[in-house]
Amino acid sequence: MRWLLVLAGIAIAAAGGYVSLAQAGSGAQPWDPELSDNFVFMRALPFALGLGAVVGLFRAGGWKPAVRRGDQIRRFSPGTVIGHWIATIGFVIALPTGLWQYLGGILSQDVPAPGGQLLLDLFHPVPLYWFYRLHYIGAAFVLFSVANFGAYWWVNRDRALLVPRGEWRLHLTGFALEVPRMFGARLAAPLKLDLTQRLPQPRPFTYYETAFSFPTWTFALALITITGLLKAMRYIYPIPGPVLYWASTLHVAAMLLLVLKVLDHLRYTLARWPLMVAMTRGWVSEGALRGVLDTIARPEPWHPEPTLPASAPAGVAGGSER
Amino acid sequence: MALLWAALNVVIAYLFVTNAFVAKTAIKEGLPAQAALLLGGALIAVFAVALARQSLRILRAPGAAEG
Repeated sequence: MRWLLVLAGIAIAAAGGYVSLAQAGSGAQPWDPELSDNFVFMRALPFALGLGAVVGLFRAGGWKPAVRRGDQIRRFSPGTVIGHWIATIGFVIALPTGLWQYLGGILSQDVPAPGGQLLLDLFHPVPLYWFYRLHYIGAAFVLFSVANFGAYWWVNRDRALLVPRGEWRLHLTGFALEVPRMFGARLAAPLKLDLTQRLPQPRPFTYYETAFSFPTWTFALALITITGLLKAMRYIYPIPGPVLYWASTLHVAAMLLLVLKVLDHLRYTLARWPLMVAMTRGWVSEGALRGVLDTIARPEPWHPEPTLPASAPAGVAGGSER
Repeated sequence: MALLWAALNVVIAYLFVTNAFVAKTAIKEGLPAQAALLLGGALIAVFAVALARQSLRILRAPGAAEG
């Protein structure tokens, strides 16, 4: 039954894509390539979202709790691993092409910034509609992934990446302990977090992932999805000017957030290699994962500075011998 | 690959920051756009440098990646 659902989803998506492309390629449309791509993308969007939701529902139906194979434990299902890499491909295509649309606009001026002209000349032979075309393809991958993971988590009720109710203070404390002390202290002071306490082992995701990484991914992805859909919708529905202006502005802001998120995500996972291995193979050695969760993601609490007795001689506090 | 990604982002950060100070941005889009470009560029630079440092650390000592 689940297979039928997926096959129907694929068939509908393929038919929708075919009809859209056939219309665009018929030669009967009056639009230039860029406008034509906009229409193809807009018409293909519901199918990309629908196919993602169907695949997510299919995966959720077959979801099983974590299993073990000797020393190896399953951290991610094959569907999650494949879904993650589909989203990665989407980002690798959509982010640079989106940035070029934005940068191309601000670089194209009488006296471009140093180096800007070099880039403009380099990409001059490539028609602008190709950047849009690739951006739409990347965006379709991202939208598929958003629908896929949204449906999957909604149905299987896997809430491991969410902070459990009443535990935000604990997770924020763990996050503050994981980041460099300068940032941790700035976060802890206004929130009155106790950084001297020993925290329980995070499970199955690190405090950094639950308190910071996942919420910011969710926010940035929701923002870019909603603003992107509004921008795309203007080709089939009259969107009021101010709404379109803010959608465009926030779409750029979300793009910037995602650029930062990708950089930070790579920095964090490269330093914790077992997490990278898990997202490639799905399996990870229990010892390596425990090493990440127990020692790296549960850093030692801070030890408060020893207070000096009132009679201590001046100079001791700073360790000065003068 | 992570180093290459970081290097590309440094170029983007440079373009963001330099374009915050060009006349067209100031005249056409005003101070908020200039501030956004400057802040965005600075943030991309900081995160790109952090990724580059992490990548270099792994290249120098492959076993040093935590875990």
